Parts: sequence; C-alpha cells; structure tokens
Amino acid sequence: MGNLTVEFFEKTLRNPVMNASGTLGYGKEIEPLWGIETLGTYVTKGLSAKPHHGNPTPRVWEERNGMINSIGLQNIGVERFFDEYFPYFKKRKTPVIVNFFGFTEEEYLACAAKVKPDPFIVALEINLSCPNIKKGGISFGKEPGAVFEIVKHVKSVTKLPLIAKLTPEVRNIAEIAQAAHEGGADGLTLINTMPAAVVDVKSRNIPIKGGLSGPILKPIALRAVYECSKAVPIPIIGAGGIMNTEDAISFFMAGARAIQIGTATFVDPYAIPKIIRGIDEYLDAHGCSGIGDIVGIARDQ
Amino acid sequence: MDDIEATIIQNKHIVSNYYTLKLRLSGSMGRVLPGQFVMLKIPGNEVFLRRPFSVYAYSNNTLTLMYRVVGKGTEILSKCPKNERTLVLGPLGNAFRIRKTDKYIVVAGGIGIAGVHTLIKRLGKKASIFYGCTNKEELSLINDMLHLNPMVSTLDGSCGFEGNVIALLGSYIESTKGEDRQIFVCGPAGMARNLRKLIEKDRTPCQVLVEERMACGLGLCFGCVIKTIDEKEPYKRACKEGPVFDLWEILL
Ligand SMILES: Cc1cc2nc3c(=O)[nH]c(=O)nc-3n(C[C@H](O)[C@H](O)[C@H](O)COP(=O)(O)OP(=O)(O)OC[C@H]3O[C@@H](n4cnc5c(N)ncnc54)[C@H](O)[C@@H]3O)c2cc1C
Ligand SMILES: Cc1cc2nc3c(=O)[nH]c(=O)nc-3n(C[C@H](O)[C@H](O)[C@H](O)COP(=O)(O)O)c2cc1C
Ligand code: FES
Repeated sequence: MGNLTVEFFEKTLRNPVMNASGTLGYGKEIEPLWGIETLGTYVTKGLSAKPHHGNPTPRVWEERNGMINSIGLQNIGVERFFDEYFPYFKKRKTPVIVNFFGFTEEEYLACAAKVKPDPFIVALEINLSCPNIKKGGISFGKEPGAVFEIVKHVKSVTKLPLIAKLTPEVRNIAEIAQAAHEGGADGLTLINTMPAAVVDVKSRNIPIKGGLSGPILKPIALRAVYECSKAVPIPIIGAGGIMNTEDAISFFMAGARAIQIGTATFVDPYAIPKIIRGIDEYLDAHGCSGIGDIVGIARDQ
Repeated sequence: MDDIEATIIQNKHIVSNYYTLKLRLSGSMGRVLPGQFVMLKIPGNEVFLRRPFSVYAYSNNTLTLMYRVVGKGTEILSKCPKNERTLVLGPLGNAFRIRKTDKYIVVAGGIGIAGVHTLIKRLGKKASIFYGCTNKEELSLINDMLHLNPMVSTLDGSCGFEGNVIALLGSYIESTKGEDRQIFVCGPAGMARNLRKLIEKDRTPCQVLVEERMACGLGLCFGCVIKTIDEKEPYKRACKEGPVFDLWEILL
C-alpha cells in the first residue's frame, strides 16, 4: 500500500479523491454500498441560503458517452444540511467541502456566512455557474471582473478556504482562473458541466436543456486543468468525465492535486472506491511515494 | 443491496414488443419486496446509463424481468443472447405496504403488470386483479395468473371489457362500496389519473408505482423526482422515497 494522503489547506486528507457536487446526494445514500469514509472528503450537494425546489422533470437525459441534467439545484438549504447531515460526517471522521450557490450576490454571501468554521470543514466551494438574475441571467462565472468581485466579497464573510468552481463555458478559462486567484480564491475546481440540449426527434421537441457531464467532458476538463495549473499557483481539483483509474491519473499528470468523480458513480456505484484503489496500485507499481510525484508531470514535459 | 454480476439464461419474446429476461445472479440479492426494482446494465457499450426494471420474480439467485421494447436500451436488450454478462444493482426503492383489509384490488395496465407481479403472487386469491391492455394477444402476459380470475379489458374489445381498465374497475368499485379496500396500481400515468378521479370521493387507500427517468437509482442525483403535495419539499425521488407512493400524496 502506497501513501495516498494529501495536504489540502492545512488538513490531511486520506486520499485526493472526492465526489463531485450533486452526484452523491446528501452523502448517506451511498452507505448501503460503501462507507462515506472511503472519500478523501465529501463534497456537498449544492447548498443555498434558502431551500430550493429545483426543476420539473425530465431532469436527466442520456447522451452518447454522457448525460444531461437539469436538476435545478434542488436542496434543503444550508441550515438543514448542518442540522441533519453534518453531524453524521463528523461521526464518520469524514471532512466536508461545502459547495454553495446563489442567484444574487446577496444569496451567495448569506449562504457562505452561515457556514461556521469547523475542523471537519475543509473549504467552501463556490459554484460560479449560476445565472445572475440581477444582471439579466448572465452567469457569475463567465466574466473575469465578476469572478474577481464575487470571490473577493465571499472571502470577506468567511474564514474558511475558498475553492472557486469554474464553468467551461468561457473564452479563456485561464483568465477566469487568474481573476479568481486575484480575488482571493485558495483553490480551483475544474470544471462544472457544459450547457447542452437534446432534440427528441420522435416528439419533435427539446425535452431537456441542462448541463452535460460524463466522459464526453474529459478532454475539455483536462485542457482546463492543464492551462489553469500553469496560470495560477493555487491547488486545482480536476473534475469532468473521470470514469476509471487511467482517467484519474491523467488529471493528476495534467496538474490536478485532487479529483472529483461525478457521473461515473451513476454508471458504476463502486467507481469511487475502485478508482481510489487503482490510484494506490498505480503509485505502488511506479515506485511513487505519493500523488505529488505525478502531479503536473505531463504538463511540464 | 449490491451490484451483482449476472448472466442471461433466457431472453424470451412473449408477444408484440414484450419480453421476459431471466438472469442467474452470481450472489444473492437478499430479500426482495413487491414493488422493488433493479438498475440493469444493458450489455455492450452503446447504452451509457443503466435502466430501471421492476423485479418480476426472484428466487434462488434467479431474477426475472418482464420488459417492453420502447427505445434504444430495451431494443439492444431484446437482442442480447443467452450467456451474455451484465450487472444488476438492487433491490432498490420502497415496496408496496400491505395493510390488513377485507379487499385488495390490484390494477395494472400493459407492462405495468411487471411492477405488481410479485405483489399479486404474494396476495394470491385475496386480491381482485384488473388488467388492461390493447388487444387479446397481450393477455398472454398474464397467462400465469389466469387461475386468479383476473378481470380484463382490451382497448380494441377483442377480449373482455372493451375500453380502458379504469372504466371496467368503476362498476366493481361501485359494487363494493362501504367495504374496507386497498388498491395497488401500476401502469401509464393516464391510468393513475383516471383512477384518482374514480375514487376521489371516497379517497380509498391507494398506492401507485411510478416510473421516472433515472440516472442512478440510488437517490444520488435527484433526477427522478415526482411532485407531491408536500409544500416544504414538493419533489420526492422516485428511486428513494418511491417508486411506490400514496396516490393521495402525489400530484399527477
Ligand atoms: C421503477 C421503475 C420500474 C420499471 N419497471 C419496468 C419493467 O418492469 N418493465 C419495463 O418494460 N419497463 C419498466 N420501466 C420503464 C423502463 O425503465 C423504460 O422503459 C426503459 O428505461 C426504457 O429504456 P430505453 O433505453 O429502451 O428507452 P429510451 O427512450 O431510449 O431511454 C432513454 C432514457 O429514458 C428513460 N426512460 C424511457 N422511458 C422510460 C420510462 N417509461 N420510465 C422510466 N424511464 C424511462 C431511460 O431509462 C433512459 O434513461 C420501469 C421504470 C421505473 C422507473
Ligand atoms: C446530477 C448532477 C448534479 C450536479 N449538481 C451540482 C451542484 O449542485 N453544484 C455544482 O457545483 N456542480 C454540480 N454538478 C456538476 C458536477 O459536480 C461535476 O462538475 C460535473 O458533473 C463534471 O463531472 P463528471 O463528468 O464526473 O460528472 C452536478 C452534476 C450532475 C451530473
Ligand atoms: S435516479 Fe438518481 S436520485 Fe433517483
């Protein structure tokens, strides 16, 4: 057995593998299959200051090599999460990254302010893909100036490290990464889903517009990790289409210091524990002392 | 519950686009309750997500599903040969809750029979069965329950009552008025809506097995929700809080 532990914001995580936000429910749902303490850290479903009902169905649609979702960020609200679920993570000694969002800046700030620092909270992860309803629906994360502002303002209401989760739907993602860094982001998660739609030829309509995830995203995510990890010195968490150990390793080699696994869990509910084991075996087989030995090695070639 | 390797031991065409699939599981699924389902990995690489299917029958590590070909996944499945390997995640979801009562009524439409098949086996002669389908040929789907004297309707009138099964159920509901009854239903959404209208006045206890598009089947993605009367949390997950819901708690 190698050494999978990683240092993240002055915390030691068991391993560099997390679930991607919104793909492991509130955490407990996976327990019939494997223990939540398998994860390096659990990333919460996107939480908001007030509960959200989300969108009507259909909410999921299959694509070749991927899926489209329009869950609409249904969640019980940040307060209920901390009342009802957080104690369970503490009991299981599993740290948490709190993914959160808002549709106005006030909502982002209100939510971030409600999360009190705790030894079991690794960081906040700000979802920057939400449409800004005050600015006519343009996404918070698409414009460097807006990213800088929101990150800076959130930093002023929390003592927790802040990870900015970026949307790939931008012209120059490295520029956005830089803006987040300058705003005070302590890390980045790359990437969120890509806007997409399907046409149902039988019924001649567009049954779903939403975010595309799964293997089809992988090359886009790898490019983002590669470019942003060159552009900013803060740790990067890679996400997007990681289905197996080889995919995971490729993200580390592109410059990610940790990874998140989302859609793969729907295809194979054991994908996360399998990938953790696979990374361990890979490091052993290649005589690595830890994941640090391979982070960025393909990028720096 | 686990993700279990399975081998197809039979994939049999029944009639029109209906099939039964028999799988030998490499391990036990444990106890399976009426109304529960599995997420099946369709063999091959063309189908990305798994597909939900009700447990039609299960014993001694042998699982039977009954399915209707409606799209890509079921089309591919219908062509899967014997000995093909696959994965079965289950049993999933909440079962029908049977309470003590004088009369059990089970209503199924088309492939909905797959969802209530184990329930009917459990209730046996205690249940009155109503089955609706399009034509006489499709009645072969209920060949193994003819001894329970099901009441049948066909849309084309080729056998039994002509029309939909809720219309047929109407007179029975009328004739058993005042009795303590419990209804179980599985079929197209329109069927549940019609049933609801029929028993609205008496608000007869009724549970319905709903179908929604699923990605995970485990409550992880919140993709499979159904709207309920709960104002605080209207959307409930079909795979986790369902697929069996109280008819009076959901909005159809
Ligand atoms: C709890 C539950 C139990 C079910 N039990 C049975 C059963 O015993 N026998 C049977 O024939 N069918 C059953 N279904 C419906 C079955 O899952 C769909 O017919 C099947 O997924 C269609 O797949 P496809 O690839 O052929 O269709 P496609 O249209 O190509 O599928 C694309 C997507 O749509 C989804 N989808 C399409 N139709 C349905 C539907 N009616 N319900 C849910 N998702 C759908 C698929 O899962 C898939 O994600 C059940 C559904 C649920 C939710
Ligand atoms: C069903 C579903 C729900 C998601 N919910 C969220 C969310 O609440 N917040 C967020 O930042 N990202 C959310 N995402 C995006 C994922 O966290 C991840 O960034 C994306 O799916 C790419 O990774 P994957 O290809 O491994 O799934 C969601 C994705 C899916 C599929
Ligand atoms: S299918 Fe994912 S929550 Fe029900």
